[in-house]
Amino acid sequence: MTGSFTRRNALKNLAGMAAGILALPAGRACKAAVRNVFAISQAPPGYDPFKHKWLMALDVDRCIGCGLCVEACKAENSVPDNDFRTWIERYVITRPKAGSGESRGDTFVDSPNGGMGGFKPSLIPRDDILKSFFVPKLCNLCENSPCSQVCPVGATFESPDGVVLVDKNYCIGCGFCIQACPYGCRFMNPTTHTADKCTLCYHRVTRGLRPACVEICPSQARIFGDLNHPIHDDPLQRFIENNKTQGLKAHLGTKPRVRYAGLDEEVR
Amino acid sequence: MKRLLKMPPQITRLVLLTLVIVCIYFGARHLLTPQSFGQYGHYRANALQEIAAREPFWAGRNTCDACHGEIVRKLAAAEHKGLSCETCHGPSKAHVENPEVKLPRLSYGQCVRCHEASPSRPAWLHQITPVKHYTGSVCTECHVPHQPNEVP
Repeated sequence: MTGSFTRRNALKNLAGMAAGILALPAGRACKAAVRNVFAISQAPPGYDPFKHKWLMALDVDRCIGCGLCVEACKAENSVPDNDFRTWIERYVITRPKAGSGESRGDTFVDSPNGGMGGFKPSLIPRDDILKSFFVPKLCNLCENSPCSQVCPVGATFESPDGVVLVDKNYCIGCGFCIQACPYGCRFMNPTTHTADKCTLCYHRVTRGLRPACVEICPSQARIFGDLNHPIHDDPLQRFIENNKTQGLKAHLGTKPRVRYAGLDEEVR
Repeated sequence: MKRLLKMPPQITRLVLLTLVIVCIYFGARHLLTPQSFGQYGHYRANALQEIAAREPFWAGRNTCDACHGEIVRKLAAAEHKGLSCETCHGPSKAHVENPEVKLPRLSYGQCVRCHEASPSRPAWLHQITPVKHYTGSVCTECHVPHQPNEVP
């Protein structure tokens, strides 16, 4: 390394310097190119994500299984035909066998086409049904979300305003998050080949509108609000005050934020 | 210090190589990390704005109030008060932007979709068995959708 000042060494050093100088603009161009890919911003001005905390709650006793929310979501977010950002499940619990000593029979769950177009009558005879109800499902907005923990590139994240989002320009489409979500709320978008999920209609809530499913639900089974800025007679606050609520699969430690009222033990 | 400089050449080479690799790593990270990554957390903060940039599809109930305030107030006092206009009338954004664009007329199917009897539906909902309840196809013969309890 010590090498004396020879012609050979001087030329080597000069070449190294020239390469360094040449590499600088190339590096700058490279960085600018990377930035350009990610530089589009037409978001509503004046929205501060740190000032809000959005939440959706679901009232199982209010859901009538019309499926309008599923269609509203599809139209609002151009959701691919065979995938769902929100869907409705029908639970049918049969009567226990006479003399069995059980309180309830078997549980059957179906969600034909996610509940789009409503539900046809169940194949289980009416007399065998102990009880039946609809459960709307969507992203549970976990505080401790497994999907963002497994993302290798930081393309999915919990936003400051309480929504778990996917950065589709940064997602590499590995699908880890889809496997990680215990609620099955994610899917691979067949056109963008990136992970896709409920955004809580982020483009609507930042503009002061309600999510599409909440807007269209005819029976107020979906309740939406801002925990940091309750409006006058806030439906979400009233709902949480008046109901015993719980999150889905809370035992998994995901800390689901979406609240459900009227859940039966069978609901997973 | 002198002893340090007198390190065996293979060690010096190793140290230099390590330094070069570390420099390449930091250089590449600097060049390849997109703008705004890490501003709020381990993600691109700009993604929030990009996701919010999408145009809403449903106009929302408050939009209807501007021109159809009377009907909106009527509805707010009746059984169907929780419904958004677009729940029955369908997507209305085109109509809001240009009132000449008329919304499609409502049909029998839209009433039945919510009010057809089903054992899965909650008891508070008014439910009918269409064939027993009425054989025609114009629900509005007997019901006023904006005031379901009134008789026309």
